[in-house]
Amino acid sequence: MKLHLTPAPHVHSPQTTRALMGNVLLALAPCAVAGVVIFGAPALVLMAVSVLSAVAGEACWQRLTGQKVRVNDLSAAVTGLILGMNLSPRAPWWLAVVGGLFAVVLVKGLFGGLGDNFLNPALAARAFLLVSWPRYLTTWAAPLAADAVSGATPLANPSGYTLGQLFLGNIPGSIGEVCKAAVLVGFVILLCTKTITWHIPVSLTLSTLVFCGLLGYNPIAAVLSGGVLFASVFMATDYVTCPMSTKGQLVYGVGAGLLIALIRKFGLYPEGVTFAILLMNVATPLIDRYTKRRVYGYEKEAKA
Amino acid sequence: MSNSITFRGGVHPLHGVHEGKAATCGQAVIDYTAETVTIQMGMHLGAPSTPTVQVGDHVKLGQQIADPVGFLGLPVHASVSGEVIAVGPVQTILNPAAMAVTIKNDFKDEWVDGLEPLGDVETAPVEKIIPAIKNAGICGMGGASFPTHVKFAVKEGQYCDTIVLNGAECETHLTCDHRLMLEQSKRIVDGLRAAMRALDVKKGIIAIEDNKPDAIEAMRRAAAGREGVEVMPLMTKYPQGGEKQLIQVVTGREVPTKKLPLDVHVIVLNVGTAKAIADAVIEGKPVISRVTTVTGHVNRPSNLRVRIGTMADDLIAACGGISIPEDQVGKIVMGGAMTGFPFPNTTHIPLAKGNNGVVVYSEAEAVDYEEDPCIRCGRCVEACPIGLNPFKLKYFCDAGDMKRAGEWCVMDCVVCGSCSYICPAHRRLTASFKAMKDKIAAEARKGKG
Repeated sequence: MKLHLTPAPHVHSPQTTRALMGNVLLALAPCAVAGVVIFGAPALVLMAVSVLSAVAGEACWQRLTGQKVRVNDLSAAVTGLILGMNLSPRAPWWLAVVGGLFAVVLVKGLFGGLGDNFLNPALAARAFLLVSWPRYLTTWAAPLAADAVSGATPLANPSGYTLGQLFLGNIPGSIGEVCKAAVLVGFVILLCTKTITWHIPVSLTLSTLVFCGLLGYNPIAAVLSGGVLFASVFMATDYVTCPMSTKGQLVYGVGAGLLIALIRKFGLYPEGVTFAILLMNVATPLIDRYTKRRVYGYEKEAKA
Repeated sequence: MSNSITFRGGVHPLHGVHEGKAATCGQAVIDYTAETVTIQMGMHLGAPSTPTVQVGDHVKLGQQIADPVGFLGLPVHASVSGEVIAVGPVQTILNPAAMAVTIKNDFKDEWVDGLEPLGDVETAPVEKIIPAIKNAGICGMGGASFPTHVKFAVKEGQYCDTIVLNGAECETHLTCDHRLMLEQSKRIVDGLRAAMRALDVKKGIIAIEDNKPDAIEAMRRAAAGREGVEVMPLMTKYPQGGEKQLIQVVTGREVPTKKLPLDVHVIVLNVGTAKAIADAVIEGKPVISRVTTVTGHVNRPSNLRVRIGTMADDLIAACGGISIPEDQVGKIVMGGAMTGFPFPNTTHIPLAKGNNGVVVYSEAEAVDYEEDPCIRCGRCVEACPIGLNPFKLKYFCDAGDMKRAGEWCVMDCVVCGSCSYICPAHRRLTASFKAMKDKIAAEARKGKG
């Protein structure tokens, strides 16, 4: 009789890495559809190129470095899609290629691959593109439905748009982030599939609202006009680069919101979300260290 | 559910399919007696006993066939009457060559002379209860097999104020404790009362997961009017029946690291152990049988009351045999899915006192997952009932870093399997902690010796 001898446990939760990444792709779908509806075919092309570049880049990197090719886990696809959705619909296609490769090779692969990167690959790639080719990331295409050919981001001129426009995404902006309704649908999908918990999106959004309000912005417009909602649901919640405990996640969300407000008020960029979350990524090991659960049977937190 | 209490962390294995218990929990226990039994000398935690019989000897039922060795030692008794046909090493679940005595059953069930019943548990002489427990060869019947009389060894300055009977049965597939609580409710309460009287304990709590409302009801009826005994329903969540979690939930106390339940004035006994204590006190009888669940892909999933030392292949045959073609059998597990041990490539393995189930898995159910990279999703951290950081601990364990594994509390791991169960990357967290714990314990022994 030939039997499996693997040790306990002998049953396993149906949840897998691939299934979790699949949930994220599913949750991103409404935003992707909204982006194509609002900005037309160029948005679709950019997202497709970005996904292809990230997936092919990761596969090549893993093959060249003699690792097992693991693109089936869909993590590179998620990175590529999020990066594409973070681009202006007017960005040239090669920008998506460069960004995708930068994300999966430099940010992720070089640091050890999935799970070992200390920065969110899509965000780090976006930051890289933003400082290298600022023109392409800050020239916004107007929605198909609008009269204007191009315009400034509503962050620079929030009073020019109604809250309804801001919510439905009939505004200039990055492909995935403009339609707040679609982001909320994605958020509900992630919650219902138990892919993420509410802690980071809610704390980050509320914190941005409060701190932007304190610094003299219209708090509602501050949250609806930029990429705060999209980033709080899809980018700040990246498992690898956010804290593990719920307490740590609340600290992380509040910290990111504060940084967003500070960058908007005192920084060079009107947005600030990218750099705020990257800074919190770097702070994550520290947050994890100070928000460890007390171990059963110990008076205080065990040292180590 | 609403008035049930619980601990932080844990998982719900096989939740959608009644934890794999539906096939057996509704049927009465069936008696089964095999033609031969192979009784291991090392059924309890501690040094194996020394056989005192030889091939050709005729033994009676309940006759002592081995002497205890060392502080954790226990005597071993014949579980059938008949002739000793072998004394020597056999393959057991964890040991390829464990000393055992094989007896051919003459089916006369002739009890040994000189049993010393103490009578009613409420009037039995208090000082004779613990010796009776030891002489009956009782060790934890819930799986850990710790010698029961040693749990009662209250040291100078220690005291016990609560005895908790563990009827949680949080493991998957197993229903032997459930059935025992339904069919032997009074005996279980008797055993608890005997234990309480032995140490002058005023409070006895029978803790049962709320997926067994009939057992809760039966135990409540049996406990009615018994001094200091109450029944406490618990939320159905794994590992609710883990000793540390049970103490936390039932008493609100935590066992300090490196300490034992007695250090927080608690003793935890499995309900099967309580029943064995009652048999030893009331009738003077040693442990000769136990109830064990045989389920999964067998033709008649059942709970069997079998003699200690019955071979697993006899158990499976008694349940109508395996119900799928042999090449589709993936794994056979001694115990539940979360902590059970896989059978080596044979079912010719004898049942020990602590073995509560045999479960047959199909090839499809037994897939060996490949380990993927950790994505730091934090599910293991949330699931750990102890509050460890399994994802991090595994790096130290895999690297053989005993110092840092120790600093990250690997010795506090209860090896419940929750982290491995929940990990979406299928990382073998629990197995790696178990290996590290064994290694550190072995080093410590070496240091002492």
